[in-house]
Amino acid sequence: MHVDRKSVKVVVAGGFGTGKTTLVGSVSEIDPLTTEEVLTQASVGVDDVTGIEDKTSTTVALDFGRITITPEVVLYLFGTPGQDRFWFIWDELAQGAVGAIVLIDTRRLDASFAAVDYFERRGMPFVAAVNRFFGECLYSEDEIRAALKLDPAVPLLWCDARDRASSKQALIELVRHAMARLPVAT
Amino acid sequence: MTYDVWDGDDEAEAGRLVPLYILVNGRTSPRNTNLDLATQVIALPVDATRLEPEYRDIVRRCNDWMSIAEIGAYLGRPLTITKVMVDVLLEQGFLAVGSPAQEQIVDRRLLEMVLAGLQRL
Repeated sequence: MHVDRKSVKVVVAGGFGTGKTTLVGSVSEIDPLTTEEVLTQASVGVDDVTGIEDKTSTTVALDFGRITITPEVVLYLFGTPGQDRFWFIWDELAQGAVGAIVLIDTRRLDASFAAVDYFERRGMPFVAAVNRFFGECLYSEDEIRAALKLDPAVPLLWCDARDRASSKQALIELVRHAMARLPVAT
Repeated sequence: MTYDVWDGDDEAEAGRLVPLYILVNGRTSPRNTNLDLATQVIALPVDATRLEPEYRDIVRRCNDWMSIAEIGAYLGRPLTITKVMVDVLLEQGFLAVGSPAQEQIVDRRLLEMVLAGLQRL
């Protein structure tokens, strides 16, 4: 049996400690939930398990929240795992997603390189959101763009992941960006 | 730690997973490959009392639409196992499934709906 009930996914990425769970929590209608995926021996060989060779399994936690859009459509916001090495989970999160918000902490721009690179290579719409939570930004937009090697078409915005209105705005920018990339309707 | 017999410690390393894999007959991926962690399911009005408790818990959780990720989070089960269990329940007619995750979102109407919904927040 199949019913017209739609799930829409948005990925919230960025390096460890850039505020992913904070952003999810600020707009989610439920307290962020945590689900776990278990990396077993079966995944070894496709994932970089450097440093964890001695373990037979590793648990990867995923934080997520939800926003009911209409009675038929629910938006799920998934934060990527803090560790960059679990690419198979990124693939599952990214598959069919509207796009991603890549959070940037200007004190540690390099923490978000992997995320920018991932979505760029995948050709998936994303916006870069500088999380102002960490204080005054020392860099100009141009400097951040250059440091992250952002494509000029990728929107760069400023946000405070703790603030609901600000997180909501980042989501709106992402959906607009995703729509702008669609082929022109005929 | 190499024991030939179960040491009774389910929490150790992968030991915790063994009972769960028995529950899904060793299956590690769902037959329905459209199942995504955001796919939503709902319980059908079918008597679930003959199900094993772990399966019954899922059906009970789904008296309203719920995603696989939520089921896993609420029941404290790893995603892969939750997905396989949901798949089994779908096959056996205990659950109904919503639209599968799309390979690529190209549905302008859906995006417009999402945009309007976000603006209303």
